[in-house]
Amino acid sequence: MQFEYSTAGGESAGSVTAQFEPVEIGLMRLAASQLIDLLEAAGTNALGTADNQTLRRLLPDAYTDDPEAAAEFRRFTSDDLLGRKVRNARCVLATLGEEPLDEIAEEPGDAELSAAASAAAAQPVTIALDPTDVQSWLRTLTDLRLTLAERLEIGPDGVPQLSDDEAPFLHDVYDWFGMVQESLVYAIDV
Amino acid sequence: MPKTDERLDLRNAVSLDRPWITIVWDDPVNLMSYVSYVFRSYFGVSAEQAERLMLQVHNNGKAVVATGNRESMERHVEAMHGYGLWATLAKADA
Repeated sequence: MQFEYSTAGGESAGSVTAQFEPVEIGLMRLAASQLIDLLEAAGTNALGTADNQTLRRLLPDAYTDDPEAAAEFRRFTSDDLLGRKVRNARCVLATLGEEPLDEIAEEPGDAELSAAASAAAAQPVTIALDPTDVQSWLRTLTDLRLTLAERLEIGPDGVPQLSDDEAPFLHDVYDWFGMVQESLVYAIDV
Repeated sequence: MPKTDERLDLRNAVSLDRPWITIVWDDPVNLMSYVSYVFRSYFGVSAEQAERLMLQVHNNGKAVVATGNRESMERHVEAMHGYGLWATLAKADA
């Protein structure tokens, strides 16, 4: 997975492309969907963000020394910000393409065909992003990392405190999102 | 001889001298390359300036990235929150 700036003209002018493994696409799709669920649940009660650490990090206080001004700022901006974050995550989902159909039940005995089918399913997929998509990806990857960092209890030193069974996997995902984001930043930095 | 303008309020004039600032705080999550990119693309500063601000955030824990009236600073803070950066606004130190 490495984003590269497309030098081709025509429709792909100004876009970046990268090859993703199907499993990576599945992971992005799952994470973006969960982020949308979280943001939409928050949207129905934006003022309740004070009690939710993850939302507090996605929508931090704008004033450190004036709780009243911070609450007012939140009242005026949270709907917009949450709405934009949802739209960004939806854009990411859209760029990942159609969700694959459930695997067709394999005909017993037709080993050759099912081998061919699984080989096709394992082929990397090219994801192309136009400049607007890139902005949505950069922001969604940030929101996903902020959400995961809260879950992993990442402290100010950047070290996760969480040590349950899921922690190693979540940390890998967190690092991978960072890698994807950095690759995007470098690809558009031309 | 011109009359004294009654609307002139020295207290307002003094507060105009103390602008508002937008502060971006260090956080352990956002990548240095991304923070630098946000400064470049949103504030339109040069790569060198963006890098300098980003390092200030990273090394000092925070950096003042904009100065101006309260409304513009609120707009910048909202934009920074849109990028996922941790930003606040405050009155500049007297």
